[in-house]
Amino acid sequence: MTFRNETLLWMLQRASAAVLALCVVVHLATMVYAIRGGLSAAEILGRTRGNYGWLAFYSLFVLACAVHVPIGLRAVLAEWFKWRSGARDLALAAFAVLIAALGMRAVLGVFL
Amino acid sequence: MPRYASQTVLDVVTHIQRALDPTLAYRYACRVGMCGSCAMTVNGVARWTCRTHVDRAAKDDALEIEPLRNLPVIRDLVTDMSGFFDKWAKARGRFEGGASRNDDFAKVVPQSREREQVDAAIECIGCGVCYASCDVVTWNPDYLGPAALNRAWTLVNDVRDTTNTERLRAIAGDAGCHACHTHVSCTERCPKQIAPTAGIAGLKRAVAKAALRGEL
Repeated sequence: MTFRNETLLWMLQRASAAVLALCVVVHLATMVYAIRGGLSAAEILGRTRGNYGWLAFYSLFVLACAVHVPIGLRAVLAEWFKWRSGARDLALAAFAVLIAALGMRAVLGVFL
Repeated sequence: MPRYASQTVLDVVTHIQRALDPTLAYRYACRVGMCGSCAMTVNGVARWTCRTHVDRAAKDDALEIEPLRNLPVIRDLVTDMSGFFDKWAKARGRFEGGASRNDDFAKVVPQSREREQVDAAIECIGCGVCYASCDVVTWNPDYLGPAALNRAWTLVNDVRDTTNTERLRAIAGDAGCHACHTHVSCTERCPKQIAPTAGIAGLKRAVAKAALRGEL
């Protein structure tokens, strides 16, 4: 990989980290708030189904994870397992797709 | 081992070589913290042995003295520093100006931001303590390391240098500044109180700006 692309990966990881920091805070605060009054699963689904705001928020959360996690794993694989080949990057691209697919499946599960 | 006031770890090593084992190989020159050649691992920590008092470094009245980590050992306590300095060259650690002897002196305002950044990093004497303390060097032997990147940072801030785009290319990527995990071991251990971590963070910003401008 060229140093330019490595630089872009680094910028993507920093940007996704900033998004994740915000998303995690909102997610945790929402969870704490939602269970204070003892909301049931049905009541939670009643609030999330058809709500485009939550769809957008959690889609952003999933996208940020799909970007951030594989880039971090890339360094872990290189440093701990000496795996630095192009095959590693292909595997991680597939892993990013997997994270995005599983994450969006969960998001759509509470939206639809 | 005889003990006396203000005894340094270098004194201990010298005593061993002169009185106990004349075959012991170690390296030193100035003995006063100017040359940086006596750096070794003392009780697990990379230090200048000439500036480390036994009283402060000994644990349970014992010292374990090893060569610097992350460098090939030539013999006993002597490491091969050539790879370390080759990385300075790889990081384009050489000043390359554009003026000739016919030009006037460059005027650099001492209070300018660039000059202050250079001042904070320029006192490195290349002892290798930061390099030996860096986990990323251990994990990624190609990583340029804190000292070479700190040197590059001083040149990136040198307004007279004309090769900074090439320098940023040389220090970007998985073997360059982007490999740094900000463990801050280099900054913690630097005997000159330099903060290579800050310089490396500055290089990451400089590289990012250059990439966004399409200069890389």
